[in-house]
Amino acid sequence: MNMWATFWGVVLVLVLTVFAILAVVVAIGGFSDVKSLFATIVSQHEESPDE
Amino acid sequence: MESNFGNLDWVIVAVYLAGTVVIGVVANRYVKNMADYIVAGRSLRSFISVATMLGSEIGLVTVMYTAQKGFTSGLSAFHIGVVAGLSCLFVGLTGFIVVPLRETGVMTIPEYYGQRFSQGVRIYGAAILAIAGILNMGVFLKAGAIFVTSLTGLDDPMIVNFVMVLLIALVLSYTILGGMVSVVITDYIQFVVLAFGMLVCCIIAITKTDWSSIVSTVERVHGAGGFNPMEGSVFGPTYITWMIIVFGIGSCAVWPTAVMRVCAAENPQVVRRLYTWSSIGFMTRFIIPQFLGICALTFFWERMGPDSLFFDADGKIVSDVDQTLKAMPLFLSQILPTGLIGIIAAGMLAAFMSTHDSYLLCWASVIVEDVVNPLAGGNLATKTRLLLARLIIFLTGLFLLAWSIWYPMGQEMLDYLAVSGSIYLTGATTLLIGGLYWQRTSTVGAYLALTAGACSVLGLKPVQSLLGLEGRGLTEAGVALGALIVATVLLVLGSLLFPNPRPGANA
Repeated sequence: MNMWATFWGVVLVLVLTVFAILAVVVAIGGFSDVKSLFATIVSQHEESPDE
Repeated sequence: MESNFGNLDWVIVAVYLAGTVVIGVVANRYVKNMADYIVAGRSLRSFISVATMLGSEIGLVTVMYTAQKGFTSGLSAFHIGVVAGLSCLFVGLTGFIVVPLRETGVMTIPEYYGQRFSQGVRIYGAAILAIAGILNMGVFLKAGAIFVTSLTGLDDPMIVNFVMVLLIALVLSYTILGGMVSVVITDYIQFVVLAFGMLVCCIIAITKTDWSSIVSTVERVHGAGGFNPMEGSVFGPTYITWMIIVFGIGSCAVWPTAVMRVCAAENPQVVRRLYTWSSIGFMTRFIIPQFLGICALTFFWERMGPDSLFFDADGKIVSDVDQTLKAMPLFLSQILPTGLIGIIAAGMLAAFMSTHDSYLLCWASVIVEDVVNPLAGGNLATKTRLLLARLIIFLTGLFLLAWSIWYPMGQEMLDYLAVSGSIYLTGATTLLIGGLYWQRTSTVGAYLALTAGACSVLGLKPVQSLLGLEGRGLTEAGVALGALIVATVLLVLGSLLFPNPRPGANA
C-alpha cells in the first residue's frame, strides 16, 4: 500500500508541474493563434466572397 | 454549512459570464459559411487547438464527475487519468485513427462513414451518435445545479432552477450566433482561467489537508482498493480495460467533440502536435479534480467522521450519488477565500457553458450534416443548414432541461457518462479502426458493428431495471467490453460473408 501511495504521490507532483508549464505555454501561444485565426478567416472571405 | 461565497463573488461571476456572451456575439461577424460555423474555416493552429480541446474537455462537468470518483474511490482513481493521458500520447505519436481521418478531409465521423461505406451507414451511425451524445449530455445540467448549490450555499431549488435556465439561455445565445469561432475564443479564455484556477485550488487544498492525512484517510475509508486499481473491491482489471477504451482511445480519438478539433486543424502535423500536447491535459483533467475529491474526503472525514453528511455509521461513503457529487464544491466553499471563490466559480461556470457550446454545436452539426442533409439528397442550401443547426441546438437545450429533472441516475456520474458514451464509442471505435486500416471492411460489417456497439445501453442502471436485468451481475464495464467483442466479431464476420462489390464488378 505504501508503494502505491508513493507512486500516486509522484504521479500527482509530475502532473501538477507539467500542467503548470503547459498552461503558461498554451496561454501565451494561444493568444497569438487567436489573432491569426481572425486574420485567416477574413482573408478567406476576401478570396471567395460569394460563399 | 456556511459558504465563503459572498456578494463580491456574484459580481465577478456576472461580469465574467456577460463578457463571454459579448465575445460570442462579436464572433458572429466572422461566420459566413458552414465551414466557418463548424470548423472555424479550418484555420486552427497548434496552441489554440490545444487550448480549445482542453477548454472543452476540462469542464465543470468533468471536474464534478472526476472529483466524485476521487471521493468515492481514493487514490486508485488516478489510474483513469494515467490511461487517458498515455492513450492520447500514443495517438499523438503514432497518428492512430486521427491522422488518416484528417487526411480524408471529412468534417465529421459520419461523413467518413458515408465516404468509406454508404450514405445509409452515415445516417445510421450519425443517428446513434446523436442519441448517445445527447443522452451523455443529459446529466450535465444536474451537475451544474449541484455545483452552484453547494458552492454558493444557495439551497432554494427555485433559485437553482432559475440559475440553470439562465445558464442554458446564455449558452444557447452565443452558440447559436457564433458557432465554432465563438466556441474557440470562449474555450481559450476558459482554459486560461480554469487551468490557473485549478492549480491554485490544489495548492490551497494541500495546505488544508496534508499528504499523510490523505493517505491515512483513504486507507481507513477505502482500504487497499483505494490505492491499488487492480484490487477488485473498487475497480479491477475489467474496469481498467473499459477505461482504456472509453476515456483512453475513445475519448480522444473517436469522441466527436475531440475529433472536431482534428477536422478543424490546419494539417496532419498540427493534429499530431495537438494530441501529443493534449495528452498532458487528458491526464490532468482526471487527476487534478480527483485529487480535489480526495482532499474533500480527507477534509470531511477529519471534521465529521462516521454517521455524518457523507459517511454512514460504519465509516463507509453513503451510496446516494447526488450526495457524493456535492463533496468537492462544498469543500471548495469552505477553503477558498471570498474573491478567489468568485473567480473559480466564474471559470467553472464558463467551463460549463464551454462544454455545452461544443457539445451542442457538435450534435447539431451531426444531425444536420449527416442525417437531415443526406436524407434531403444533399441539396440543402447553406442558409437552411445553418438555420436547422441553430434550431436543433435550441431544441436540444430544452431536452436537456427536461432530462436533468426527470432522469434517476442510479450510478456514479462518471459511470453514467462512460456507459452513454459507449453506446456510440464501442461501435464507432471498431468501425473506424476497421474502415481506416482493413480494406475488406464492408457496409454490412459496418451496420452490424454499430448495432452491437449500441447494445452498451444495457449498462445503464434504469435500463437494466426496466428490462428486469438487475441482480444478474451485469456491470457497466462487463456490458461495454462484451459489446466491443461482439461488435468486432460481427464486423469481421459481416465483412467476410458480405463483402462490398468490387468497383466495376457489374461492368
